[in-house]
Amino acid sequence: MGTTPEELYQERDKRVTEAIHLRIPDRVPLEIALSYFPARYTGITCEAAWYDYDRWLEACKKTLLDFQPDIGGVQPFFPGKVLEYLDPKSLRWPGHGASPHHTHQAVEGEYMKADEYDAFLGDLSDYLLRIYLPRVSGAMGPFGLLPQLSSLGYGYRGTLVLAEALTKPEVAKAIRTLQKAGRELQRWRSKMAAFSREIEKLGFPPLSQMLALAPFDAISDSLRGMAGTMLDMYRQPDRLLEACEKILGMTLKRIRATMTGGGNKRVGIPLHRGSEGFMSLKQFEKFYWPTLKRLIQGIADEGLTPCVFFEGDYTSRLEYLLELPKGRVFGHFDTTDIFRAKEVLKGHMCIAGDVPCSLLQAGTPEDVKDYCRKLIDVVGKDGGFIMSTRGPVDDVKAENLKAMIDFTKEYGVYR
Amino acid sequence: MEKTPEELYKERDKRINDAIQLRIPDRVPILMSFGYFPAKYTGITCKDAWYDYDKWLAAYKKTVLDFAPDGLWTVQAFSPGALLEYIDPKQTKWPGHGVSPNHGHQAIEAENVKADEYDYYLTDRSDFILRVLLPRTAGVMEPFRMLPPLSSLGFGYFGALTLGEALARPEVARAIKTLQKVGREFGKLRPKMAQFNREIEKLGFPINDAPGGGAPFDMISDFLRGMHGAMLDMYRQPDKLLELCEQQLASTLERIEAMPPVSGTRRAFMALHRGSDGFMSLKQFEKFYWPGFKKVVLALVDKGITPCPFFEGVWDARLEYLLELPKGKVLCHFAQTNMVKAKEVLGGHLCIMGDVPSTLLQAGTVQEVKDYCKRLIDICGKDGGFILTNMPLDFAEPKNVRAMVEFTKEYGVYR
Repeated sequence: MGTTPEELYQERDKRVTEAIHLRIPDRVPLEIALSYFPARYTGITCEAAWYDYDRWLEACKKTLLDFQPDIGGVQPFFPGKVLEYLDPKSLRWPGHGASPHHTHQAVEGEYMKADEYDAFLGDLSDYLLRIYLPRVSGAMGPFGLLPQLSSLGYGYRGTLVLAEALTKPEVAKAIRTLQKAGRELQRWRSKMAAFSREIEKLGFPPLSQMLALAPFDAISDSLRGMAGTMLDMYRQPDRLLEACEKILGMTLKRIRATMTGGGNKRVGIPLHRGSEGFMSLKQFEKFYWPTLKRLIQGIADEGLTPCVFFEGDYTSRLEYLLELPKGRVFGHFDTTDIFRAKEVLKGHMCIAGDVPCSLLQAGTPEDVKDYCRKLIDVVGKDGGFIMSTRGPVDDVKAENLKAMIDFTKEYGVYR
Repeated sequence: MEKTPEELYKERDKRINDAIQLRIPDRVPILMSFGYFPAKYTGITCKDAWYDYDKWLAAYKKTVLDFAPDGLWTVQAFSPGALLEYIDPKQTKWPGHGVSPNHGHQAIEAENVKADEYDYYLTDRSDFILRVLLPRTAGVMEPFRMLPPLSSLGFGYFGALTLGEALARPEVARAIKTLQKVGREFGKLRPKMAQFNREIEKLGFPINDAPGGGAPFDMISDFLRGMHGAMLDMYRQPDKLLELCEQQLASTLERIEAMPPVSGTRRAFMALHRGSDGFMSLKQFEKFYWPGFKKVVLALVDKGITPCPFFEGVWDARLEYLLELPKGKVLCHFAQTNMVKAKEVLGGHLCIMGDVPSTLLQAGTVQEVKDYCKRLIDICGKDGGFILTNMPLDFAEPKNVRAMVEFTKEYGVYR
């Protein structure tokens, strides 16, 4: 058992990696999405994660050291002031649209309209700069006044046309605001990078170094909205599929450009709209799974480890996951029947789950231990399991979380 | 009673249109281009065309009134030299800036799209134009290279932040400041510049300056790949080149489609550069040049515009193709093409225009000019369908120019 933070880091990372690779580690690893829990635990507000760097870092450090999971993802600090300049329409955060005591919220909208697939597919750069971003950021609104980039023309005339467009008072003001946001973010860059380093220095490896979305989710979350995407499955399925293809290509390109060198790097893939409540199995097969599968495969091909968070219930879709490369993918389940998941996926994919946050919030330590015991006995059998909660533990009772972690460390040892 | 400028305008316009539409006018019309000749003629410099609007307009007016042709196929209008100095265009040298104050401007061709950049340009043209093409063609745009690829800005408000950070870079911020300064000045100047041609028309001289379009291949050769690049591509990557021609054609057709409907007969000057006998084989012409050019001409005709293509160079071997253009709807303007042959092939189908040589106007005698014009009128002017014009006459002898106009007015009368 290591003692220095470096040794602990290596030990924890190894434990998790072994489980993912379907080798039996020393004990069942623990991965907890602590998220905003440090606020509640240390008696500060969630707002600190956006407005009080030092206090938030302290709270996160204390929480991690007190609970000692193998991986404990906390809400990273992000400067709220920068966002205030941008006036994002798709986000409310503690202290700005959301209560200081609650987590941030994504506000979904039809930021891309039903008849804009052609622009999106045919001239994405122009679409993002002049149409889409002005809708999701108030500061960028006036960029809608710029001329179409492909119509600027060649030679110096193109530059003259652009120059004149940049002098429109609204555009000039938008540029100044964006520059303010950019400069403010610049001031925070090093501290933001230091935040995750500080956590790692304490001995806690991150779950993932970057995020990717299932192409369908990218469209549903940020572009067409849930309602729009659902209608598109019926009204313009081919356009929707084309957009999924395009986004898949872009996502893989981004991952290849950012994550060079392979190693143990993990890529988080939170899934949103592929679960049972959101689409039929037939739709899942047509719209969701093909590009998600290629995304996961593509990430694995780069020597990276895709860590998929299956939000919602995927019980009826578990067999599809057997198509993914063996021992290379990590699947974190939410309300999926974890016992059935074990049955289907054992020997093929490491899974994590599924202590309900409601149990941690409203149950007793004894309830929690019973739940974990069953998980370790059944799902933890022969490895391939990581103890986790169904979702982020923002509001749970500290003693219950402690019971879950300590019990797993004690009872979850492989002998 | 002397005719008003409006009456003269109508009379001249009708004379030109009669010839184009293959009706026999009262006499052979003379459409001219004065280029930089007003400088020599009125004793000012070519530089004034770029730096002194009022002086240049006055010189132009005087010249046009003194020689009184039936109209102008193009006008060397005022260009904003002082503003262009801020823009630092890499492809234009103009009198007083890279060229002597007493000579015309020069276009400098460059390979702005490299041989291996077809895919980038074809699939993400907006991004290429903003971050690659304009920075290569204008010094002031150089820092725009530092912007992130627009398509990588991503979905959601974060894209605005990434952009803000890029816009805050000192070099980019400085470039934007300069562009805005230029843009403000240009905004004041542009309406005045647009008036230049109208001021001349008000004197009673129609100008062929309706919006037109170029041959797709020329746009690529002139502005994107350069002559050298486009020539090599015909052998090395013909399919990519054709794809680019198609894309260029689609943009041109889209622009023409979007133009407001025209009233009356409006003529559009079109300069053709690289389709002539000297630049490509007939086989290459058929494959790369003719199809796109023809579609642009037809689209203009559909819009009610009379295209006036200026076939620079020698088109002797490709005159038969022009028979595919609609009868009496296009004015074929030739440079070094054999006018007698052109008349033989196109007579009764399309009006032709040519071609008093610059050398003759500069170094010849008045009698030689008259002889030349007489031959043109006798052969090409027979039964109408002919307009007499001059080749560029920046440095011509005024008396020769006067002889050309006066002789044609006198001898060219149809009886």
